[in-house]
Amino acid sequence: MGKKIGIRFCLIVLIAVLSNYLYTSLLYPGDFKEYSPKLYALQQSADSTDIYYFGESSNTSFVYSDSLYTSISGLCAKFYPTLYFRTINKEATHAGIYKRWLKIFEKKNKFPKALVVTLNMRSFNAGWIYSDLENSLQEGLVFANSGPALLNRFFLSLRAFSTITTEESEALVQKEWSEKQLLFPYKTKHKTVREWDDQMANGGYLNADGTWNQSKIELACHFIKAYALNIDSANPRIKDFDEIAEWCSQHRVKLYLNLMAENVQYADSLVGKDLVFLMRRNHDFLVNRYNHGNCTVVDNFDKIDGKLFIDQNWTTEHYVLKGRMFIAKNLAEKLSKDFKNQFVKAY
Amino acid sequence: MLFNSLHFLLFLPVVVLLYYLLSPRYRWPLIFAASCCFYMAFVPAYILILFFVILVDYFSGILIESASGKRRKLYLVLSLLSNCLLLAFFKYYGFITTNIHDLLALFGVNVNTGHLNIILPIGLSFHTFQSMSYTIEVYKGNQKAERHLGYFANYVLFFPQMVAGPIERYDRLGNELRKEQSLRYKNLSEGFRLVLFGLFIKMVIADNIAPLVNLVYNNPIEHSRKEVIAAVLMFSFQIYADFFGYSTIAIGSARLLGISIMDNFKTPYLSTSISEFWNRWHISLSTWFRDYLYIPLGGNRVAAGRWVFNTMVVFLVSGLWHGANWTFVIWGALHGCMLLLERVFKKTKQKADALPWLKPLLILKTFAITSLIWIFFRAETFENAGTIFRILFFGNAKGTNEAGLGVAFSCAIVMLVVDIWLQHSRFDLKLRTLHFWQRWSIYALLLFAITALAGARKFSFIYFQF
Repeated sequence: MGKKIGIRFCLIVLIAVLSNYLYTSLLYPGDFKEYSPKLYALQQSADSTDIYYFGESSNTSFVYSDSLYTSISGLCAKFYPTLYFRTINKEATHAGIYKRWLKIFEKKNKFPKALVVTLNMRSFNAGWIYSDLENSLQEGLVFANSGPALLNRFFLSLRAFSTITTEESEALVQKEWSEKQLLFPYKTKHKTVREWDDQMANGGYLNADGTWNQSKIELACHFIKAYALNIDSANPRIKDFDEIAEWCSQHRVKLYLNLMAENVQYADSLVGKDLVFLMRRNHDFLVNRYNHGNCTVVDNFDKIDGKLFIDQNWTTEHYVLKGRMFIAKNLAEKLSKDFKNQFVKAY
Repeated sequence: MLFNSLHFLLFLPVVVLLYYLLSPRYRWPLIFAASCCFYMAFVPAYILILFFVILVDYFSGILIESASGKRRKLYLVLSLLSNCLLLAFFKYYGFITTNIHDLLALFGVNVNTGHLNIILPIGLSFHTFQSMSYTIEVYKGNQKAERHLGYFANYVLFFPQMVAGPIERYDRLGNELRKEQSLRYKNLSEGFRLVLFGLFIKMVIADNIAPLVNLVYNNPIEHSRKEVIAAVLMFSFQIYADFFGYSTIAIGSARLLGISIMDNFKTPYLSTSISEFWNRWHISLSTWFRDYLYIPLGGNRVAAGRWVFNTMVVFLVSGLWHGANWTFVIWGALHGCMLLLERVFKKTKQKADALPWLKPLLILKTFAITSLIWIFFRAETFENAGTIFRILFFGNAKGTNEAGLGVAFSCAIVMLVVDIWLQHSRFDLKLRTLHFWQRWSIYALLLFAITALAGARKFSFIYFQF
C-alpha cells in the first residue's frame, strides 16, 4: 500500500506543478489585476516611476464646493512636471499594508527614487488596528505572498490570510479601551479610553434649555476614541513603519512620512487640553523618531484650520481643496530637498 | 471549522493519521476530541449545548429501555421535550416573541416581549433531530440503549456530519463508529475522491454562483427581469451545489476513517415530480420526517382529509425546521400543496410517465416549480419575495448590470452535466468503473478547478444556519 500511495502522491505533486504552470500562464495575470489591483498598479508602473505616493482616503476625498477635484498627490505632482509621480491609493490603508506593497519592487528589482507614505494619527489607534476593514486589505495582499501563484489563488478562495470577525474586532478594541492605561505627566480623572468616554457620555454638553447636546457629546466621544492613545515603539504600526524605513534605507529610496493634519482645534474645543496633550505628544514621538537620516517627516499635524476639514461631524483627515493644496505644497517643498532641479512653483 | 477552510484541510489528514496510528480502543476518545475541536472552532461555549443534548438522550435511552408501561412514554416525552425546548429557545424564541408581539399589537395591546441577542448554535436542528431519532428508536424497541457514553457522544458529535447532516440513525452510524476499522487503501481512495469532488462542487460551482444570487436577492428592485430570472434559476443550483458539496465532503471525510454514512442527494433536479424530488433531496431529513412525523400521524393509509392534513403538517414543520421565519413556512406549505396537486392529477402523471419523450419536459416542469418555490426560501422577507415575483412576471425598468451572469450560468451547466453523468451512481463508485488514466485526468481537472477557479470569496455553507 505504501508504494501505491507514494506513486499517487507523486502524481498529485506533478498535477500541482502542471496546474501552477497553466494557471500562471493563463489565468494569473487576470486574477492579479482583479483581486490585487494596487499591487498590479505597482507592478505595471515600477519600471517608470520616480516618486510613489502611498495614500488613503485623505488623498482623494472631495466636496461639492471644491472648484478642483484634484487629489493631494495630483496637486503635488504639479510641482514636479518632469518626474514620474504616481499614486497608489486605497481607503483605510496603513503602514502594515504599505510595507507589503514594497515587495513588488523587490520582485521586479526596480526601485523608485522616493516614496511618500501617508499616515494619520488615527491609524495607530485600537479601532483601526483591530478593524474588520482589515480583511479586505489583507485580501488584496494575497498575491504579494512568496510561493507559487496557484497556491496564493487557492489561499484567496479559502480566505487563508489574516482575518478578523466583527465580534473579534469589537472584543479586542473594547479590551484595549478598557485596559490600556493612558499616560499623563499629571493627574487626570480618566485612566483609560473607556473611562474617559463614559465620563464624556454621562457628563458632556448641555443645551441652553438644560437638555443634553447629544450630537456634540457623540462627536466628543468619537474624538476621545480616535485620539486618546499613547503611541510608543510597541505599537504595531510603529513596527510596520520601522520596517518601511529600514527597507527604504537598504534600497536607497528616499522616504517621506506625510503626517496628515488632524483637527486639533476641534479636539481642543470639544474635549479639552488633555486630549490635545496626547495628540501633541504622539506627534512629537513620530517626528522625533523618524525625522532624520533617510526619512523626512512632512509635518502637517496642526497646520490645517478646523473649518477646512470636510467632515465636521466625524474625525477624518479629509480636507477641502484649500487644505489639500496646503498639504500638497508642504510636501512638494520638502521633496525639493532631494529633487531641487525638478521643482517648479506650481502655485 | 468550515470544510472549505485551510484549517479543515490541515485538520482532516492529522485526524486520519492519528486515527489509524492509534489502537482501536483509543479511537473513540480521538473522534470525540476531534469533534469537540471542530465544533468549538465556531463558538466554543456552545459545545455545552451539545453536551446537554448528549447527556439527556444518553440517560433517556437507558431509562426508556429499563422502564415499562407509562414510564417509558414519560421518559421519551421528557427527552423529546428537552430537545424541542432547546431548539425553541435558541432558534425560535425571537420568532415566537415577535409574532406574539405583532399579534397583540393587532388588538391594540403593546407588550414588550423582550429580545435575546443570541447567535443560533451551528447545526442545532441537525444534531437535536439526530439525537431524538435515537431515543424514539429505543422507545420503539428497534434500538438497544447505548451504555457507552463515549460512543453515544460520538454519534451526536461525529465531526463530518454534526453541523449539517446527513441526519444519521443510531443503528447505522452508531454501529459504524463501533467497528474496528483497519487501514484500507480503498477507504482512503474513496474518501479522497469524495472530499475532492465535494470541494469542487462547493468551491467552484456554489461559490461562483453565490455573488450573482446575493447581489439580486439583497436588493431585487435594482435589477432587471433578466437578472432576476437568472438569480432565481441560479439559486436552485447554488443551494444544491452548496448542500450536495457539503454532504459529499462529509461522506468522504467519514470514509477516510472507514466509516460509511448515508447519501443525502440523488440528482434531485432530474426528478419528474415533486414527490420524486423529495425522495432525492435531503434524503436524511425527508426520511426522518417520514418515520417520525408522517407515519405516526397516520401516513397515507387514512381518509383523504386526514392525509391532506398529515402531508401539510409535515411540510409546514419541515419549513419551520429550516428557519424561524414565515418565508420558510410558506416554502414548506407550497411544497405540500404541490404534492397534494400531484396526487389529484396522479392518473394524468401515470400516463405522462409512460411516454419517455415527455420525461425532459416533466423534469423541466419540476425544476421550474422548485425554483419558484425556492424564492421564499432565499428571500429574507415577504417583501423581497414579492418584489422578485413582481419583476419575474411584470418586469422592471431598472438594472443593467449583468456582470457574473456568464460565470454563474457556466457553473450551472457544469452542475447539470455532472448530475446527468451521476444519475445512476455516486461519484466515487462511478470512478471505480473508469480506467486509471481516466480517473487521474478527472482528479487533475478537479484539483486545477479547485485551486484556480474557485470563487474568490468564501461563503459559509447555507445549511449551517439551520
